[in-house]
Amino acid sequence: MKLRGTVAAALASAGILLAGWQTGTQVNGISTVASSTTATGTTGATGSGSSGAGSSGAGSSGAAGSSGPTGSSSTSGSSGSSGTSGSSSSSGSGSSSGSGTYKGNTVQTRFGPVQVQITVANGKITDVTALQLTNTDGKSIQISNRAAPLLRSKVLAAQSANVQTVSGATITSNAYLTSLQAAIDAANL
Amino acid sequence: MNTQLLPAVPAASSSGRPELSSTKRPARGWFARQYRRRMLRADLLTVIAWASVAAAVALWLADGGATNISSPAALFTAAGIVAGLAGMDLVLLMLLLAARIPFIDRTIGHDRALEFHGKLGKPSLYLLLAHGLLLVIGYGMAEGLDPVSESINLWVQVPDMWLAFVSMALFIAVVVTSLVAVRRRFPYEFWYVVHLLTYAAVATSIPHQFSVGGLFAAGTWQRWYWLAICIYTGSALVYFRILEPVLATARHQLTVARVESVAPGVVNIVMRGRKLDQLAGTGGRFFIWRFLAPGMWWHPHPFSLSAEPVFTGPDSQGTLRVTVRNLGNGSAQLLRLRKGTKVALEGPYGLLSTAARTTNKVVMIGAGIGITPLRALLETTPFAPGEATVLLRGHTEGELYLGSEILDLCQARGVRLFHLTGPRSRTKSPWLPEDAVRNGYSLTSYVPDVADADVYVCGPAAWAANVIADAGKAGAPEEQIHHERFNW
Amino acid sequence: MQRTSNPLVGAGKTILKARTFECMGTVIGLTMPVDFLTEGQPGLVELAAATAVVERLFHELDETFSLYRPDSEASRLARGELKLPQASARMRERYAEAHEWRLRTEGAFTPERPDGVLDLSGIIKGHAIGEAGTSLLALGRGDWCLNAGGDVLVSGSPHPGTAEPWKAGIVDSADRRTLITGYALGGNSPHTAIATSGSAERGEHIWRVGSSAEFIQVTVAAADIVTADVLATAIVAGGTRMLDRAAGGWDVAVLAIRADGSMLATPGFQPA
Repeated sequence: MKLRGTVAAALASAGILLAGWQTGTQVNGISTVASSTTATGTTGATGSGSSGAGSSGAGSSGAAGSSGPTGSSSTSGSSGSSGTSGSSSSSGSGSSSGSGTYKGNTVQTRFGPVQVQITVANGKITDVTALQLTNTDGKSIQISNRAAPLLRSKVLAAQSANVQTVSGATITSNAYLTSLQAAIDAANL
Repeated sequence: MNTQLLPAVPAASSSGRPELSSTKRPARGWFARQYRRRMLRADLLTVIAWASVAAAVALWLADGGATNISSPAALFTAAGIVAGLAGMDLVLLMLLLAARIPFIDRTIGHDRALEFHGKLGKPSLYLLLAHGLLLVIGYGMAEGLDPVSESINLWVQVPDMWLAFVSMALFIAVVVTSLVAVRRRFPYEFWYVVHLLTYAAVATSIPHQFSVGGLFAAGTWQRWYWLAICIYTGSALVYFRILEPVLATARHQLTVARVESVAPGVVNIVMRGRKLDQLAGTGGRFFIWRFLAPGMWWHPHPFSLSAEPVFTGPDSQGTLRVTVRNLGNGSAQLLRLRKGTKVALEGPYGLLSTAARTTNKVVMIGAGIGITPLRALLETTPFAPGEATVLLRGHTEGELYLGSEILDLCQARGVRLFHLTGPRSRTKSPWLPEDAVRNGYSLTSYVPDVADADVYVCGPAAWAANVIADAGKAGAPEEQIHHERFNW
Repeated sequence: MQRTSNPLVGAGKTILKARTFECMGTVIGLTMPVDFLTEGQPGLVELAAATAVVERLFHELDETFSLYRPDSEASRLARGELKLPQASARMRERYAEAHEWRLRTEGAFTPERPDGVLDLSGIIKGHAIGEAGTSLLALGRGDWCLNAGGDVLVSGSPHPGTAEPWKAGIVDSADRRTLITGYALGGNSPHTAIATSGSAERGEHIWRVGSSAEFIQVTVAAADIVTADVLATAIVAGGTRMLDRAAGGWDVAVLAIRADGSMLATPGFQPA
C-alpha cells in the first residue's frame, strides 16, 4: 500500500516537473543574438545552438564582466556587469555583420526578468536597451536606469534648442564672460 | 458506581460520510472496504504533498528558469531560487499538517500528521538556508560583490528584503527550539510560545516572495498559484484551528456539572451541555479542553470522552464525561474545578476510533488511565458478540479505572474481558503481569486470533510499545494496530 | 554659436529676466519670468530683491566655507587654528553631510583632499543653491531658474501657469560654445536640479579614485541639487562603477562623456 502511494507520488511529481520544463523551453524560443561581434564582423566564439543553455563564456554572461578589449559585449549591456545576475546570451549563428535589432534572452535579475534589445549596425553593437518586463514599483526604476551608449545625432542636438539655462562644469568668473550662459543672461538682462 | 447507559444514539453524520448507525457488526467486508478507502485517501495525500513540491519547482521551470543558466553566477542563483520554492512549499505543507484538517485527521490521524510535520522541519529549514546563501552568492557574483556585501546590499537596497532576513532568523529560532535536545531544557509553555513565532516567520517571508525577483511578479500565472496556496493554507489554519473550535464551544455551551472521585488521584469530570448528539460516536477520539477559570484557561488538555454522551433533555441536552488522572502541573487544578465553570472545546481529533477499523474483530488493550478512552470506544464500535476482547492492565484492581462499567458493557455486548493485575513481568512480554508470563501466557493465549483483529492499544508509551511489539510478533499487521502517540 | 532661448517666443505675456552676481569664484544667475503687462517695473524690482536675498545667502556661506578667504572658518580649520569639535554647528553639520555622501558613494566623493585639507566646496555650492531656492519659495516666488556656475535648480515654469518645463542645455566638453543636448527640468518630471562636473573648465579639481580618468564630464539630473552635484562629482572620480551605482541607487538621469568623445547616458538623456 505504501508502495503504491510512493510510486504514484513519484510519477505525479515527475510529470509535473516535465510539464514545467516543456513550458519553459517554449517560452524562450525567441532570440538570435549576435553575442559578440568584433570589428571584423565575425560571430562570437560561442556558436552553440539553441536557447542559451550551456553557452560558453566568451562574450556572454554578466558575471564575467562586460566588454573585453575585443569590443565584444555581453547582452547585459556594455556599461558594466553590476545588477544582472548571471545568464544571458543565446548564441547567434550566422549574421556576422548583420544590421538590425535583436532581442536577447531573458535575463534573471533580482528585480525580475529583463530582456535586452540590441541594435547592430555594420557589425557593431551600437545600442543596448533593457526592455522592461517587470514593473514592480521602485525596482523598475533601478533596473531600467542603466546607462547605455549615446550617439551624437541631430535628434540629440535638437534637444538643446530653446534652452533657458546652461549646465556645464563650473567656470570661473572670467571664463563666464565668454560663455553661452553669459549670452543667455545678456539677452535677459 | 453505576452510570446510566442509554442505548447509543445514531451519530449525526455532519459530513455525509458513510456512518455506522448501530453497534451491530455491519455487512461482510465493510471494514475492509473502509480501510481500502482510507488507504486511497492516504495515497492521495502523499501524491498531493510530493506533487506540490514538484509544482513549486515546475513554476520556475515553466518560466524558463532552467534554460537561462550559462554562468556560475546564474547556476547559484537558479539553485537558490529552486531551494526557496521547495522550502516554502514544505513550510506550507507543515502548516497544513498542523492545521487539524479533518480530511487529514481521519486519514492518517492527528498524531501521525504531527509526526510528519516534525519530520519536515529540518529539511525545510535547510532548504531555506540554502535559498538565502545561494542567492547571496549568485547575485553577488553577478555584481562582483562578496556574499556579505551582497547581503548588506540586499538588506539596504531592495524593499522587503530586510523582512526576509528577519523571517530567516525567526525560522532558525523556531526549529532550534523544537529540536528534542533543546526542548527538554525548557518548560512546554516556553517552547509553545516560541513555536507560535512560526506564524511571524511565515508572515515576514511573504512580502519578498511576491516583490523580489520576477517569478511571482504581477501578471504571471505563477503569482496566482502561489497566492492561492498561501491563502488556502492561511484559511485552513484560521478555520480549523480557531473558527471551528469557537463555533463548537458556542454550540455546546459546556459547563462543569460535577467532579467525582473514581480512585485515588483520578476523577470524573462531568460537563453539562446541549446539541451533544453531534459528539456521539466519538469514542476513542480526543478533544482539547480548556476550562475557563482564572489560571486555567490557557492550559489545553487533550482528553478523550470516557463514555458516550448521556442525553437528559430536548435539543440533545445532556452530559459528557472525561476521566482524568492527576499527573502534576496543570492537571492538579482539575481536581478542584468548580461547578459552572465554562468549558471550551476543540475537536474531536484522532484516529483511535471506528474510522480506523479494518476487520470485524476487535481487541482493546489498556493500562492505567489509558483504559478510559477504550471504555468509550467499547460503547459504540460495532462488532458481533464473541468477536471482541478487552484486556485491562493495572497494578491492582483499583487501578483498573471504570472497571465495573467496562464489565457491564462487556456482559451486555458479549465481549471477553481479562483483568491483568500484579507486578510487571521481568522476562519476556514486560507488558503482562509476572504471574501470567510465568504461567506461560502470552498475547495469543488471551486472543488466539489477534492476527485477524483490529488491536487498539492505549496506555503509557513504553508499555504500549511492548504490547505493539508482541502483537506484531503474533502476526497482526501494522495497519491493524491502532495506537495514539501523545508525545506532542 | 548655438541659438539660445528667445524669451519672446511662445505664448504668454511673460518675459524672462535675469540678474547675476559673482560669488564663490563663479557667476550666479537668477532668471524669473516677469509679467510686464501687469507687473511692469515692480516685477523687475521684485527680481532685484530676490536676487539680493540669494546673493546675501551665498556670501554668508562663502564667508564661512571658502578656502580662498584666509579668514574663513574653513581656512582656519585647514591651518589647524581651529579643531573640528570647536567649529560652528553649521560647519559640523556640513562635514557630517559630506561624510554621509562619502559612505553612500563608497569613497568616490570625499571632502578630504589628498593633502589632508577639508574641502567642503563640493557640498557647499549645492547647499547654497538649495537654501536659496527655499528662500525664494518662502518669498512667494514659485517660478524661477537659479544657475550657480553651471549647477541649476528650478521651480515652476518659464511660462507660469503652464506645465512647460525649464530647459537646460548641456555644454559640449569639446567645445564649450556648443550644446550637446538639453534636459527638461520641472514640469512633469521630479528632476528639478541638474549639475555638471568635469575637468574641462576649472582645471583638475576633482581628485580621482583609481588611475583611470574615464569620464571628463558628467551631468546628473536629480530631484535635489546637492544629490546632483555630489553624484556628478563622484562619477567623474569613480568612473563606470560609480555611474552604475548612482543610476541604480538614486532616481537620477546621467550623461557621461569620455575623453574620446563617446558618451553613456541613462534613459532620461536618450532622445525619446
